[in-house]
Amino acid sequence: MSSPQASSPTRLLELSQLNMSFGGLRSLQDLDLWVDEGEVVSVIGPNGAGKTTLFNVITGIYRPTSGDVRFDGSSLVGANPTDVASRGIARTFQTVRLFLNMSVRDNVMAATFGQTRAGLWRSALGTPGARREEREVRARAEELLSFFGTRLMGYRWDQPAYSLSYANRRRLEIARAMATGAKMLLLDEPAAGMNPSETHEITELVGRLRDERGYTIMVIEHDMHVVEGVSDRVIALDHGVKIADGLFDEVAAHPEVVEAYLGRGTAGTK
Amino acid sequence: MSGDDSSDGASVDGAPVDGAPITGSDAISGDPGSGPETLAVSALNIGTDEWVAQHETRTSTGHGVGARVNALWMSGPAAVRWGLPLLVFVLFPVLVSDGYLLRIGVNLGLFALLALGLNVVIGYAGLLDLGFVAFYGCGAYAYALLSSDKLGVHLPTWLSVPAAVLFTALIGLLVSLPSRRLSGDYLAIVTLFFGQIFTELVLAGDAVSLPGASDPVDITGGANGISGVSGWSVFGFSFNTNRSYYYLVLFFVVVLVLGLGRISRSRMGRAWRAIGEDPLAAASMTIRVNRLKLLAFVVGAGIAGLSGTIFSAVQVGVYASSFDLPMLILLYAAVILGGSGSLPGTLIGAAIMSVLPEVLRQPTYSELLFFVGLVAGVLWILKPKIGALVLAATVAVGFAINIVLLAVGVPYLSAAEWTQGVIGELLGRWLFVPQDRLLWGNVAFVLLIIAVAAFSRMHGRAKMWFLPLLLWLSVFVWMVRLSTEASLTRQLVIGATLVVLMIARPQGIFGKQRVEVL
Amino acid sequence: MEFFGQQLVNGLTLGSVYALIALGYTLIYGVLQLLNFAHGDVYMVGAFIGFFVMIGLGGPAAPMVPVWLMIVAMFLAAMLGSGILGVLIEQFAYRPLRNSPRIAPLISALGVSLFLQNAVLLLFGPRIRDYATTEYIPIGSGFSIGSIRLDPMRILVVVLSVILMFVLVRLVNRTRFGRGMRAVAFDREAAVMMGIDVNRVVVLTFFCASALAGAAGVMVGLVFFNVSNFMGFLAGLKGFTAAVVGGIGSVGGAMVGGLLIGLLEAFATGYLSANRPTRSPSSL
Repeated sequence: MSSPQASSPTRLLELSQLNMSFGGLRSLQDLDLWVDEGEVVSVIGPNGAGKTTLFNVITGIYRPTSGDVRFDGSSLVGANPTDVASRGIARTFQTVRLFLNMSVRDNVMAATFGQTRAGLWRSALGTPGARREEREVRARAEELLSFFGTRLMGYRWDQPAYSLSYANRRRLEIARAMATGAKMLLLDEPAAGMNPSETHEITELVGRLRDERGYTIMVIEHDMHVVEGVSDRVIALDHGVKIADGLFDEVAAHPEVVEAYLGRGTAGTK
Repeated sequence: MSGDDSSDGASVDGAPVDGAPITGSDAISGDPGSGPETLAVSALNIGTDEWVAQHETRTSTGHGVGARVNALWMSGPAAVRWGLPLLVFVLFPVLVSDGYLLRIGVNLGLFALLALGLNVVIGYAGLLDLGFVAFYGCGAYAYALLSSDKLGVHLPTWLSVPAAVLFTALIGLLVSLPSRRLSGDYLAIVTLFFGQIFTELVLAGDAVSLPGASDPVDITGGANGISGVSGWSVFGFSFNTNRSYYYLVLFFVVVLVLGLGRISRSRMGRAWRAIGEDPLAAASMTIRVNRLKLLAFVVGAGIAGLSGTIFSAVQVGVYASSFDLPMLILLYAAVILGGSGSLPGTLIGAAIMSVLPEVLRQPTYSELLFFVGLVAGVLWILKPKIGALVLAATVAVGFAINIVLLAVGVPYLSAAEWTQGVIGELLGRWLFVPQDRLLWGNVAFVLLIIAVAAFSRMHGRAKMWFLPLLLWLSVFVWMVRLSTEASLTRQLVIGATLVVLMIARPQGIFGKQRVEVL
Repeated sequence: MEFFGQQLVNGLTLGSVYALIALGYTLIYGVLQLLNFAHGDVYMVGAFIGFFVMIGLGGPAAPMVPVWLMIVAMFLAAMLGSGILGVLIEQFAYRPLRNSPRIAPLISALGVSLFLQNAVLLLFGPRIRDYATTEYIPIGSGFSIGSIRLDPMRILVVVLSVILMFVLVRLVNRTRFGRGMRAVAFDREAAVMMGIDVNRVVVLTFFCASALAGAAGVMVGLVFFNVSNFMGFLAGLKGFTAAVVGGIGSVGGAMVGGLLIGLLEAFATGYLSANRPTRSPSSL
């Protein structure tokens, strides 16, 4: 894991002139944005603004129509989701997508696939190397789960993921993303569907992910309290276009953002 | 799915759970959520998660004899649970010298090998491969061609078997390459076609026009198959008895169970299961989805190929009809009956599905099985007292129908003409068997289907009143018609079993209940 | 040219049959996302019903009613019988599995298929039944275009399929039931919330799909004569291919796919394996 705070901020993720269209629908238009190492950047915008599309383009689920995505010095365009994850960007999904019938621990261990080597034969034979690797990965998974306090501990390790509560599923999904060995986490609405105290907790969690584990984080979030609480910087999208980029207070006061959220007419009166 | 637990609050959730040891040795940071507000409910020492997790145990723990035996068995150490059956299987040929029984043993082993291979594809990776039996055929034909007079080639076993297995694995790769992006139904379609094409090719392979040859060349022997396949011979030991093949197959089953058991718990197994659960999420978690899908296919095909080589050697020949749809269904039935994804389940499913048809082939055994199953089923499902009543009522219904049919004057067969064995003695006095078994049997068969359908729609007391009639009718159909048509009955029973199994327990006997996001 | 023309006619005939089967697959897939592997066997049962209606009306040699009436009766009975069978299969083998894992109904369908094949074998024996169409439709009848002979049964099959497909398309696009069907296909849950009786829609869908298969069964009997309990699997497979080729779930696609597969098969069997007489179209 890299050191929590880089001395001079470097651009970790940089998108330039990114376009994504589906048929005639331009979901993302000439998007330029960047995320520095160690930063927490929130992406906000009304429904349909292209936030999840942005995540899908970065993580290789969609291939951008034009433009470039650079991560850690090299281009991600054309890389498939597996490559993107292996190169250091892991994500969670808006609709939590866990491996529901696998145990909590196995969910996390499964995500270490890219960092382990034992193939079919070595696994089948149980070579010392394979067994050592297995032990390490297991310890690693348990350590990652312990990051979430008592919530994903103990007896829960061996329970199937479907037995978890909604909030715990979201936590497990973050743990799983961490296990990929990524430098950067993309969290898609981590606080959606949570009650106020859980939401508060997620806010703290995102901060801890950066401070204690050194992750660079991009968050899509609708809850402005969470956005305010976690963000170093906020990017606002509307209809696939970046309309504001800056500190929370600046973006929240930005007339176009207000307009996007509240509709035309209201903006002028403010 | 999330509906039943989404209301779970952090407060309940965050309460420390008694009896849940926190085993992480690292410093565990303070629980940010357990503010003062959580203290109010911390008396609840069971989280909702726990409640949901126990769901299956709560609902499926029976009180009958079966559940107790099962609990006792499961409490034993793994070494005993695996070792004891193994010991029985190792000793089987020593205790039994009947060639027929040994052959059933060999078939059971082959079936188990196939089921283990299929389990990798469908149980682990969740790929619906409906052409699996064709891989079995590929292995069998490849081996047969390399070790028979058909092409005049007799390779030594250490060459022919690996060649056949590699060939089959290669075919597996070729089939899965175009379908690696397919999932679910579409994969099922492509593989189903592959299976069909394989059969067609083999059947048409007796007249292949090769470039440079004037006459069509016979390669596969068409419908006649290939005969005179030589047996395995390793390190100077020739396999030529059922007993020797039995041990050969047993050896491979043990090796595969050990190997697959390890793989299942390794990163490969986890990755396969992750792909089966959610391919996109798996891909986003550094798992090479396409490559692993291919690998699952190839491993499955390879195992099927290996079983094929043995099959071909044991049979001293191969025929296209061994690799058709009924075989595929039987195999799927085995994997699913046991519970796909579970190794012991797969083995037990294979045992049931390979021994059951053999038992059904013998009228005496099949009768015994039928009646034992009927009585046990009634007593198992119903409360003992009611069960006994229902059985008594069934007997009464039998006598009543006897009287009616005799009074009407339907020509009947005397007991001596159709009974056999111990059960027959008793049955002969009770069951009316008309002379025209075909007609009466067919009518009764149709009536039985209607009766079962009607029965499944009934509720409460009506069901209990109807049950004796239904039971009598099934006995009648079985004795009058089905017991004379062994192979047909087998297929009927398997077909019906699959439907009933899917409705009653889709996860199979040993499978864990699964949750699927629709 | 003559050979080509004859194969074209064969292909169109076969294609009509496949299209009808494919429509059934597509309808059911569209509504339930279920691959109904038993569909081919419903078609087989339809062929048998048609055969026994013919026997009941006096048999091919001496029908008790006018030939046209007999054929109408065969079609109606087969469609009705197959339709009811389809509905029963849905009720007992698929409905309890609506919310099960995806694989459960597939396996159940395989089970139903196996059961139907063997139930028919049990009831009617392994003997191949012969529609003996030539007994009541003289061989020389029909008319010719140049050297290509169009016998009346082939014309009937093609025309009737077109009519049936037309009726179906109207049904799907113009009626309340059709709207319900499309709604359920689009989003079952939303359809429930909109007050659509999903079960009714599913039952009607199964009835239509199976009735089409039953009609296809009689058509095959009339044109290619032989029916047996194993004819369902392969025909089902081909109808299924047709549905897939046309894009499963699409009604128009199923028709095009059916014709395509039919033509392909006719020409493939005609040209490629002319020296293998055992593989005639009747082996479907």
